[in-house]
Amino acid sequence: MSEVNNGISRRSVLKGAAIGGAGLVAGGSLLAGCGKKQVTGDVHFTIRGNLSDAGAKIAIAANDAYTKKTGNKVISQAVNSDDFQNNFVQIMQGTPDDAFGWMAGWRTNARADAGLLADVSEQVKALGSSLSAAAIQGATNPSDGKQYIIPTTYYPWGLHYRKSTMQELGLNPESIATWDDLIKLCEATQKKGLVGYALGDKGGWEAMGTFDILNMRLNGYQFHIDLLNGKEKWTDAKVVEVFNHMGQLIPFMNKNVLDISWDGMRDLLLQKKCGAMMMGSWFANDFLAKSQADYDDLWIVPFPEINPEHGIDSIDAPLDGISVAANGKNPEGGADLAGFLGSKEGIDAAVAAGDTSIYISSDFDTSSYDAFNKQKLAVLGAAKNIGFFLDRDTRGDFAGPVVGPAIQSFLKNPKDLTKILESTQAQWDALPAL
Amino acid sequence: MKTAAVNKKVRSRRSLSRNDRFTLGAFVGLPTLLQVVFLWFPTLITVVLSFTYWNGINVGDIKWAGFANYKNIFLGSPVFYDALKNNVVWLLWFTFIATPLGILLAYQFDRKIKGHQIYETIFYMPVVLSLAIIGIIWNFMLQPGGFVQGVMGRDIGNAVSIWGNYSINSYVIMAVASWRHIGYIMLLYLAGLKAFDSSLREASAIDGATEWQTFRKIIFPTMRPVNVIILVITIIDSLRAFDLVYIIYGTSTAWPLLNILAFQNFAGQGISMKGAAYSVIALVLCVVPILVYLRNVFKEDLQ
Repeated sequence: MSEVNNGISRRSVLKGAAIGGAGLVAGGSLLAGCGKKQVTGDVHFTIRGNLSDAGAKIAIAANDAYTKKTGNKVISQAVNSDDFQNNFVQIMQGTPDDAFGWMAGWRTNARADAGLLADVSEQVKALGSSLSAAAIQGATNPSDGKQYIIPTTYYPWGLHYRKSTMQELGLNPESIATWDDLIKLCEATQKKGLVGYALGDKGGWEAMGTFDILNMRLNGYQFHIDLLNGKEKWTDAKVVEVFNHMGQLIPFMNKNVLDISWDGMRDLLLQKKCGAMMMGSWFANDFLAKSQADYDDLWIVPFPEINPEHGIDSIDAPLDGISVAANGKNPEGGADLAGFLGSKEGIDAAVAAGDTSIYISSDFDTSSYDAFNKQKLAVLGAAKNIGFFLDRDTRGDFAGPVVGPAIQSFLKNPKDLTKILESTQAQWDALPAL
Repeated sequence: MKTAAVNKKVRSRRSLSRNDRFTLGAFVGLPTLLQVVFLWFPTLITVVLSFTYWNGINVGDIKWAGFANYKNIFLGSPVFYDALKNNVVWLLWFTFIATPLGILLAYQFDRKIKGHQIYETIFYMPVVLSLAIIGIIWNFMLQPGGFVQGVMGRDIGNAVSIWGNYSINSYVIMAVASWRHIGYIMLLYLAGLKAFDSSLREASAIDGATEWQTFRKIIFPTMRPVNVIILVITIIDSLRAFDLVYIIYGTSTAWPLLNILAFQNFAGQGISMKGAAYSVIALVLCVVPILVYLRNVFKEDLQ
């Protein structure tokens, strides 16, 4: 590009070149973008996590690609993910960064309704057919039909294990089809001195993954979503059954469930201390960051069937993406960056930097996926109903403050179940209308 | 004699120069203004908001809720009573174990036992750290994969359960909090003892009083102003406890405290103003006993 020096500004040439390139895949939808005025200026971006995390390096690489393409500088800062979530409303009302990685579902829609997030429908439209109708649906705020997040990646929650560990034990989790098979697998693992079913719930949300899948397997997706939206009761015998199944897993769990968080679960698997664990696949980046061999050893299978009526037709697969702050200094720039990160070029840059996520965009060539990613796709493909995870499928003042402690209490004292469920229902009933 | 002094005082007050009045006004007025703006105003707002439903974003969305938030807490939130219990345990532990230990240490060191400077430094050291830092340090030591677990040869899979073991975790948290509190109380009491008139102690020794009698009958009553301060600090520190536990458990309320619940309900989640209601409950518990106590103390002093 350095030879281009004919009076046209470098930026517009770069943009033109980019449009030419992207036009091959995105087609006519980009024409809409041509008429728009050029987006310029620095963009501030929040990375959720620590700078040392694999994810931060990937985000920075993708942002650099944006700078290279547009000439707009991206200033990234890393913020502890929990802190960012907890203080989200306050941050967004102050002087937030323009764009940040965020989660589709209640957390986006409720904040969009409050006017904290910028409408990115235009950018979603510009991504055109690269996004499936289902993905756009998942990113759409039901109250106004607009998108406030550019969906980029998703990941399945499933049973993760190390192939080498299972091989040494002479077990094959890929063959487990029923609840009894799972119990037998946990028993066999435990007999060899490993943790049968690894769980950490210090953070109060990790065990929600197990709750979700048990509820979807036993009672089906519709019951699960209805329960989380108050149309079914927590005191229902069906919910008791879910906890009874969770209770059957407790003997196979590590004895320090309430001492470790998700990263403790990851380390259990990384250090070959456990058999299987129910977790979202996003942590695979950390395996790859550790070593290629560790990553190649990681595998995922769907949680087995419990109730034949529902088979394995549902899964938690939270949709992640990029949102733009309404009160940022440069919301236009933020939206432009967000659009870029959801486009082929952005995805390519992230993948080149070691991102193992599954991108929603059909522009991304899945044939280049490694074996683990192909398996993730297979796990996702086995399900026809997709949940977003408990803390995104229900209101925020219920998930964290009520359901989290309820599951922790159950893990502490399974005998208190009746009391716990009664209290959970009572606390739902006491919530003010939205 | 007395009337003369009073007259003089009155006269001198009248004769304050314009400059003096300005200085005095600034000294009293500025801090008062800051207190009102940054403390009383937000406190008042919190009290008002605790009777509303609001998501904390648009002022226009505030809805009157009456006592709904309080009703919800007292009748519908079992975690509130767990938190209250933990706060009370904290208060009792500090009052009957940590604070007396601090006083005992101060008393021993004041007698200049051998190597007392070294001991003083050792016990004083944690006081320079904030409770948040202390939380980080002890979390690193005790969590699975932490230093202490490593020394015991426990890896993350079979780590001894400490923070998640409900038969011991309260004691461990108390011990960690006391690590700092004992040094703090020791320092305050030591400063008080330094100002203690040693002739009183000699006199009681000559009268044949035992060490314990001297402390109970002479030193402790004489140290009354310091005792009041220590008691107030102990109550406030116990009821406002937050940072140490937040560092260890986050907002998951696995070991709830009133302030953790307030924060959890504020933290970007709330539709109700339950968080504000929790804050008000903590405030009332914190301030009322202290006000009552101080009133009594001052009344006795006046008599």
